[in-house]
Amino acid sequence: MSKTEPVSGAAAELLPKPRPGRRGFLGGVALGGVAALASTRGAARAEITFASAKFFGKETVAQVVEMYNASQSRVHVTYVELPPPSASTEVHQLLVQQLARQSGSPDVFTQDVIWIAEFAGAGWALPLDREFSADVRKQYFPGVIQACTWGGKLTALPWFIDSGMLYYRTDLLGGAAVPETWEELATLAQAAERSGRARFGFLWQGKQAEVLVCDLVEFVASNGGAILGPDGKTVMIDDDKSVQAVQFMRDTIDRYKISPQDVLSWDEEPSRRPFTGGQAMFLRNWSYVYTIAQDPKVSSVVGKVGVAPLPHFPGGRSAACLGGYQYGVNASTKGRDAAIDFVRWMSSPATQLHFATELGLAPTRPDVFDDPRLAQSQPFMQKLKSVFLGATPRPVTPKYAQVTLVLQSSVSRALADGNVKQALSSAKDRIAAIVAS
Amino acid sequence: MTRSVAIGDTLRQAAPSLANVRRRRVDWAPLLLLLPTTISLGSVSVYPILDGLWLSLRNTTLSTREDRFVGWLNYRLLATDPDFWSAWRHTLEFTAISTLAETAIGLGMALLLAERFTGRGLVRAAMLIPWAMPTVVTSKMFGWLFDGQNGLVNWALRSLHLIGGNIDWYGSPNTALGTIIFADVWKTTPFMALLLLAGLQTIPHSLHEAARIDGAGAWQTFWHVRLPMLVPILLIAAMFRALDAFRIFDLVYVLTGGGPADSTEVLSTLTYKTLFSALEFGYGSALSTAMFATEVLIALCFGILIVRGMRQQGR
Repeated sequence: MSKTEPVSGAAAELLPKPRPGRRGFLGGVALGGVAALASTRGAARAEITFASAKFFGKETVAQVVEMYNASQSRVHVTYVELPPPSASTEVHQLLVQQLARQSGSPDVFTQDVIWIAEFAGAGWALPLDREFSADVRKQYFPGVIQACTWGGKLTALPWFIDSGMLYYRTDLLGGAAVPETWEELATLAQAAERSGRARFGFLWQGKQAEVLVCDLVEFVASNGGAILGPDGKTVMIDDDKSVQAVQFMRDTIDRYKISPQDVLSWDEEPSRRPFTGGQAMFLRNWSYVYTIAQDPKVSSVVGKVGVAPLPHFPGGRSAACLGGYQYGVNASTKGRDAAIDFVRWMSSPATQLHFATELGLAPTRPDVFDDPRLAQSQPFMQKLKSVFLGATPRPVTPKYAQVTLVLQSSVSRALADGNVKQALSSAKDRIAAIVAS
Repeated sequence: MTRSVAIGDTLRQAAPSLANVRRRRVDWAPLLLLLPTTISLGSVSVYPILDGLWLSLRNTTLSTREDRFVGWLNYRLLATDPDFWSAWRHTLEFTAISTLAETAIGLGMALLLAERFTGRGLVRAAMLIPWAMPTVVTSKMFGWLFDGQNGLVNWALRSLHLIGGNIDWYGSPNTALGTIIFADVWKTTPFMALLLLAGLQTIPHSLHEAARIDGAGAWQTFWHVRLPMLVPILLIAAMFRALDAFRIFDLVYVLTGGGPADSTEVLSTLTYKTLFSALEFGYGSALSTAMFATEVLIALCFGILIVRGMRQQGR
């Protein structure tokens, strides 16, 4: 853990939680000395607003914000709750509407990783390089920092991470090692299908939707390929490595026959059900599946599920599509210092540990994974450090919203009719036109 | 009946007011009374349409903060956009097939329900259940029914030895749109049946009896007496249905999201993605204007057919 971080989460937890505004002041007096002291000095407190999609576990985001308010007397944060991430189109729209007004509200917000470049490109996100030096950035997973950087500048600060991972059935593996390459996975899956131990070898998500792009990133990056070059302008989706990777996606259905054709219409949940129902050997999915797999009420594979980084192609490295929400500071904020102080606290090791244990949101700092308190309350999450080290962002471009629609359509086409090279070439032309404009 | 009386009254009142106009005296009271309706319709219906048209001539994109008048550029792009044309074709295909099927099956149901039999009231009420169901529920239900692995439909077809292996209804570009059309037909046929049943009931029973006395069989009565009388209502009902089907969104959104390989992408889902995911308000408005124009064309075709049908009957 870094010593530069100002506030200890444990100390903050001891403080009572006054409600905001004048009522908070009265409440604070009633609650006791510490809070009253904080509130009387509150006359000079900088007021900022914080908008975030709704997340909750044992606690809510609002409660964590109150922890911050109670922990110091310089800044008071008012929390604005947006819809949950399942309604991300609405969250995106609300944020764009607010930020486009450039009124400085909300001062701090949280954003899906795929919006970071868009908001930065529009000039809505404050560059944070000065406040968070290269040394500080090294404390986070490299993939997350890559996704938080646009145009060479850090424009978002990491909050929490999720990524794709390989679920496997420990009982069906029968002593064999967890596959490290896609070829090994295909061999094991075929053997399991042939011997009747599993109805499906390998399940993934091929529905024409955002999740298809996530799966695509994992296959392509694990072959050393990419969709967009680091400059955000070079389109590499029809390079040999990308074509090979997409061809393998198609081959899981057609050649190896380890995936049913149904994956082409499946997103997360339809692909999860056969796995927790005990019918499949391997599954690519997000971290949420583990909890379901261990619930005896809905799962027939309790205690038989392992998690590992996704396989890679020969010569490549395992890649996990990066998801999660990250902090951003509004470029038009009038409370710049207060906003920086707040995000610094929110992204600190102590707060990340609190988010992990109380809200189930995985830390973006590898060090936090080594904290024994995490091992105690979230033993599964603790195991994911190696998975998150391979976290790979989706194409970082302000035009991501348009790029993803082209990718979804053309990769779906490639998987359905098998003309991989042709579909990806046409995708390349269309994406090049989008990112060039 | 009451309507014709009311029209008669208005005509009678209209006569003196015509005289008023000649005396160049404007009666403000009725115009004032019309004002609330004009304002409310203007603000909720006319203004958004005009605003949409205006937007479609701009390159407004919320996230890049572009907002410039670009004339017909969006429409020129639209004309060469393969996604638009494929969605346009899918939408027309969906509209044509579902409307035809719903009209044909709805007519059959209406003819059955027009007959007297015990429990008719109950059947008539039960018939409406699919239509009353929220479409998202219908979508989920059809999602399960046509599930490629554990779906009831595959199981039934396999049990009857009609298919060798499971068919992946939503995962194959060859079957996805057809399956969605099937779901829509199941859901909306009762609506057609209801409209056509109402139409059948307006046909005087005496015509039916006269035909029977002349020795016409059931088929001849239907073909030469009931169907010609039903045509205007049939066309109006089909027009309603076609215009509604053209806006298909929820079934596609829930079941396939436009895939696989864009095979179920329709204009509404494409417009939604352009407007609300990509936040390209200019181009999205051009898309919805193109949709609007196609709907006007469809309505026009039906309008001509309806007017012709009415003239023929008038003769």
